[in-house]
Amino acid sequence: MADDVVLEMNETDAADTAVLRIYEVGYHIIPDTKEEELEKVVGALRAEIEKSSGSFIAEGAPSLMKLAYPIFIREGEKSVEYDRGYFGWIKFEAPIAIAQTIEAFLKQNKSFFRFIVFQTVREDTRAKMKAPQLREVKRTDVIKRVPRRVEEVSAPVSEEDLEKALQDITTE
Amino acid sequence: MSNNILTQNDIQHVDYKDIDLLKQFINPHGRIMGRTKSGLTAKQQRAVEAAIKRARFMGLLPFIQK
Repeated sequence: MADDVVLEMNETDAADTAVLRIYEVGYHIIPDTKEEELEKVVGALRAEIEKSSGSFIAEGAPSLMKLAYPIFIREGEKSVEYDRGYFGWIKFEAPIAIAQTIEAFLKQNKSFFRFIVFQTVREDTRAKMKAPQLREVKRTDVIKRVPRRVEEVSAPVSEEDLEKALQDITTE
Repeated sequence: MSNNILTQNDIQHVDYKDIDLLKQFINPHGRIMGRTKSGLTAKQQRAVEAAIKRARFMGLLPFIQK
């Protein structure tokens, strides 16, 4: 009876190593890390994935970004607040058991203060969407500036010319 | 035929890193919009919800906005 259980467990272990799945790991590295050391920190994570016979599909290099809310991490007695971090991600294909291995690795590595490991698809999931552009609206409420008419300065008219003009009007 | 942002732009997968896209599905308080407002299909709504929750956990989106 017990032998059957052991046999079944061995079979499931073998199945776990045979089945490959696509995973993505997203992480935040503490902002105090120097830029030169970032490669070393990420290299350790990459080595851990390779050790578990994982193959890389895509990667996003860590870049410093502001967080939407401060994250508090307990370090011994005190808690440390992080309002920014180096965010990066790696997409890879690996056996099922890797998820736990990677999580355990990231948990014990103090350089990573927040991480996520989840199953995804091989295709590029980033949206190829144009940034929404502001519509051009023709304004109709614009008041056009009309140049003021310059008043014609007329020369003084003589009495004779005036009478002549009046006569012309009346005769018509 | 639904006429939402995902269908219009032919977006098959929703990524938690696409903050600008996800921001269109949260209200000014940071809460996820309902289907009636977002106009998404049930499948799309589930994908957007999962992506927003991942983004929140990773500090890319706020849980609440004051």
